[in-house]
Amino acid sequence: MDFQFLLELTVNGALTGWMYSLVALGIVLIYKSSGVPNLAQGAMVMIAAYLVWVFSSMLALPIVLALLLALVAMFFLGLLTERLLLRRMVGQPIIMVVMLTLGLESLLRGIGPGFLGAAPKSLDLGLNMMPIIVGEVFINREYLVGAAIGGVMVVLSLLFFRTRVGTKLRAVSDDHVSSWAVGISVERAVGISWGLAGIAAVAAGAMWGSVQGVDWTLTTLLFPAIAVVILGGLDSIYGVLVAGLIVGVLGSVIPGYVDPLVGGGTRDVVTSLIILLTIMFRPHGIFGREDIERV
Amino acid sequence: MHDTAHAIPPETARPLLELGNVEVVYDKVFLAIKGVSLRIEPGQMVALLGSNGAGKSTTLKSISGLLAPERGLVTRGEIRFDGIDLLPLPPPQRVASGLVHVLEGRRIFGHLTPEDNLMAAYATRGSRQRYQELKEQVFTYFPRLKERARTKAGYLSGGEQQMLAIGRAIMTEPKLIMLDEPSLGLSPLLVQEIFGIIREINRDQGTSVLLVEQNAAAALGVVDYAYLLENGHVVMSGEARVMRENPDVQEFYLGGAGKVDYLNVKHYRRRKRWLA
Repeated sequence: MDFQFLLELTVNGALTGWMYSLVALGIVLIYKSSGVPNLAQGAMVMIAAYLVWVFSSMLALPIVLALLLALVAMFFLGLLTERLLLRRMVGQPIIMVVMLTLGLESLLRGIGPGFLGAAPKSLDLGLNMMPIIVGEVFINREYLVGAAIGGVMVVLSLLFFRTRVGTKLRAVSDDHVSSWAVGISVERAVGISWGLAGIAAVAAGAMWGSVQGVDWTLTTLLFPAIAVVILGGLDSIYGVLVAGLIVGVLGSVIPGYVDPLVGGGTRDVVTSLIILLTIMFRPHGIFGREDIERV
Repeated sequence: MHDTAHAIPPETARPLLELGNVEVVYDKVFLAIKGVSLRIEPGQMVALLGSNGAGKSTTLKSISGLLAPERGLVTRGEIRFDGIDLLPLPPPQRVASGLVHVLEGRRIFGHLTPEDNLMAAYATRGSRQRYQELKEQVFTYFPRLKERARTKAGYLSGGEQQMLAIGRAIMTEPKLIMLDEPSLGLSPLLVQEIFGIIREINRDQGTSVLLVEQNAAAALGVVDYAYLLENGHVVMSGEARVMRENPDVQEFYLGGAGKVDYLNVKHYRRRKRWLA
């Protein structure tokens, strides 16, 4: 029980949390621009990781090129999802769309390992693996890079939503019918939001694939990511960073002390409790918008 | 069919909007409008009057293309706007062709600021300069919106929200603005103000207006021409001045000039014929 230990848990927890934010960002991007909570984001992260692996290891392309190709492919996969699946769902109750994303998640989860084998693949981004040592705290370099990318992506998203196209996307999440009425193509807006979520999935897939290998378990990142978006607020991009920090730190510090006593597995309990308590006591999360009751 | 002889609008080369015998069915079973025909000339301001459930909103949605989310479908007739056939076009393309629908209940983007509401309605490919011009135009008509440009639109008052909904429509640079019940839930004074501004926009910009209203008295005060819709049919149409004088219209829609006699069955028979 020393301060050093606590500090190390906190710092690495924070970095892990911001890597969760990378996954969570995709969910927020879609929610903020079409009002759909996408339960397939974990599977999209996995597919993105497989794509990076296919381009960089199977086809032996340079890693930068592999990442770029994966970005393009995932963007179009997002557009395709809107075209083939979501366009038919216009006017349907939101619960139907949520179920649809759940179906998509199962489908994608099967596809990657189904074609490429279930054994975990190692993904080398060419990062230096040596931990950084500050004082006596060991900091995982990959997590640091992942967290930094998470921060950059959040800033880019914030800027995007202030552009003309971004404003239209926010309008679409507010009201589909009145978006149509003023000439916004709701279909295109939803397509773009899924495309952007595809791009976010590449960033998340590459970092998490590098950290823990590429296999179906990447889809389980959905769980901490859901905790992040619920705590931060489904439509809040700032929320992704703040809640990522909280989920990461709590999910690292508490297990750090409790796991040795109970034999492990506390992290998932902490994550679940964050989800449950947020929904019970602050349903819109820390920064989420509340429904405006007026008129 | 038509109860009153009325002045047919002068035949111009081409009306801006023309509905020919339009029929709309919801859910494949419910016939909501049964052969509505109407026309709007360029620069004309027209009211579509009628009681609850007469088919006024359905008529507007058939024009703007917003029937699909409510499982409605135009099953017969044609709708031409500015020379083009609207029926095959999705809603955004109809807006691009120059018409805009201000929905009933305003439906502003409540979580966006008024300024962002205006930006959302402006064409993605339009120039920044034109955007500024249009925004200034909206703020000139509705100075109150400028003062509140940065608060969430959901917190605006009902009147301000209606102004924002109209301002948002202006951002699409329409040739025709269609307004569905803009007077709903507003004080008579505010209704007068807003109708006055709509008339001003109509005069200054030459924008045609199709105004759907239950508040016939207020509407007939500003428009040039009116159609009366009952039970999915156009039962009467004519110049606003003529419509105002019509005894049936006075009795059923304008409050009967003080002598509504509920015991006199005759009128109800006459109205029943419209509703049949």
